[in-house]
Amino acid sequence: MINILLITFAISLIYIGIANRLSTVINILAVQGIILFGVSFIELIQINTINLIFILFETIVFKTIAIPIFLNNVIKKNNIVREAEPFIPDFASVVIITGILLGSIIISNIIDVGHVRKMFFIVAISALFTGLFIIISRKKVVTHIMGYLVIENGVFILSLSAGSTMPMLVNTGITLDIFVSVLVLGIFVNRIGNTFEEMNVDNLTNLKD
Amino acid sequence: MRGLGAILIILTSFFFTGIVFRTKSIFSGRKGPGIFQPVKDIWRLFQKGNVYSETTSFIFRIAPNIYFASVVIALMLIPFGGQKGIFSFTGDFVFFAYILAVGKFFNIIGALDTGSSFEGMGASREALYSLLAEPAFFILMGSLALLTGYTSFYDIFTSIHFGSSISYAIGALASFVFVLIAMIENSRMPVDDPATHLELTMMHEVMILDNSGFDLGLIFYATHLKFAIYGAIIANLFLTPGKEWFYSIPIFIAVQILFAIVVGTIESFMARFRMSHNPQFIFALTSISLLIFLTVLLIVGKFL
Repeated sequence: MINILLITFAISLIYIGIANRLSTVINILAVQGIILFGVSFIELIQINTINLIFILFETIVFKTIAIPIFLNNVIKKNNIVREAEPFIPDFASVVIITGILLGSIIISNIIDVGHVRKMFFIVAISALFTGLFIIISRKKVVTHIMGYLVIENGVFILSLSAGSTMPMLVNTGITLDIFVSVLVLGIFVNRIGNTFEEMNVDNLTNLKD
Repeated sequence: MRGLGAILIILTSFFFTGIVFRTKSIFSGRKGPGIFQPVKDIWRLFQKGNVYSETTSFIFRIAPNIYFASVVIALMLIPFGGQKGIFSFTGDFVFFAYILAVGKFFNIIGALDTGSSFEGMGASREALYSLLAEPAFFILMGSLALLTGYTSFYDIFTSIHFGSSISYAIGALASFVFVLIAMIENSRMPVDDPATHLELTMMHEVMILDNSGFDLGLIFYATHLKFAIYGAIIANLFLTPGKEWFYSIPIFIAVQILFAIVVGTIESFMARFRMSHNPQFIFALTSISLLIFLTVLLIVGKFL
């Protein structure tokens, strides 16, 4: 069952590559939150109740509900155009994301990943690199936040793969990280929106000392 | 009883496209034509003579026949439940893919033979999209071959069995990929709109603009047969070999009707993609097939 959820997660990574509207990407992020809820629920059912409730809260309330609403608000408030506007064509995105998936399979077979399970490792690594790829290939600042959130999901899966031995501290760290990043980037986005008309990274090239 | 699969596919092809049209008409609130209307249209075309352009050569004349013949040969390879197809040999799924490709090739050079610029454009698009859909089919069939250890349709479908939850996931994903490959190969909605009437946006339809009468009927009927063939492949995933024929045939017909309704529903609720969005959509199918391959590797424990 966990494997099915992880494969669904990998399919959602491919779908991000061909999604050409921002709202689609936000929906995918919400779905990924639900998938992570499923994985963590099955995986961590043995650990103590408080920790479990905390993780479930993090996946459902935070990843599935709060972040999509927040991102939608940012988009609506700043009148951001709904297309994703990548630097490279979508076809190349899909090819590169597929390459990332294959590469992470090969990497996980070359190196000895120890007590981390391989399926988790593959999906986590490919989520990390897909997030990075989305950050470098999309123009808008909002899309950078989305890529960052995909990276966060990858880190979450990687920490889940350690199983029930995961300390509470890692969790708190992840949540705090997301909170700070989304808030800071949100403020950043809003400020850019106030100063410049369009929110492209291209505008940053005009900045001088 | 080797020919049972072929007979059932031919029977299905009579009403398959009719059900697709009927579903579309119900969703758009029209009364719509009857289920057998497409077959009646083809019968009407079969009674007509051909009109050939003076610029065309013999290639244009033989192309529809070869196209139809290739589809009929492909049809004979499909097994049904516990029965083999009329031909069955090791590696026949490769033969299946390339006999369909031969038909498509003749369709394409037939279109180029007319010298029309529109038809050349349509042919180029058709070639591109089937080129992109080919790896998806091969990776998928290769994964199934790896899972079962056999390389012919009959052996693959008889020895595939759904035990654990992950094999159900493979079955669902494989059906999904097969449905979309069937839509691409038959030039249906998400990539190509068969009802469009502007040459610049047509793909398959523009290639057959110069065909008329009997040839046009052959091409249309080959499309119906191809749909039924893909439906039969999907149905074979769910036909377990131990079952008697009186279970297998209703399952087969039910899967085909369900497939037709799914196609009609997709066509009713999806707009055609922009031409530039098609390649990434088709390539995403290859990516999903690769994930199926990964899952199979996980099951057989070869690599992971």
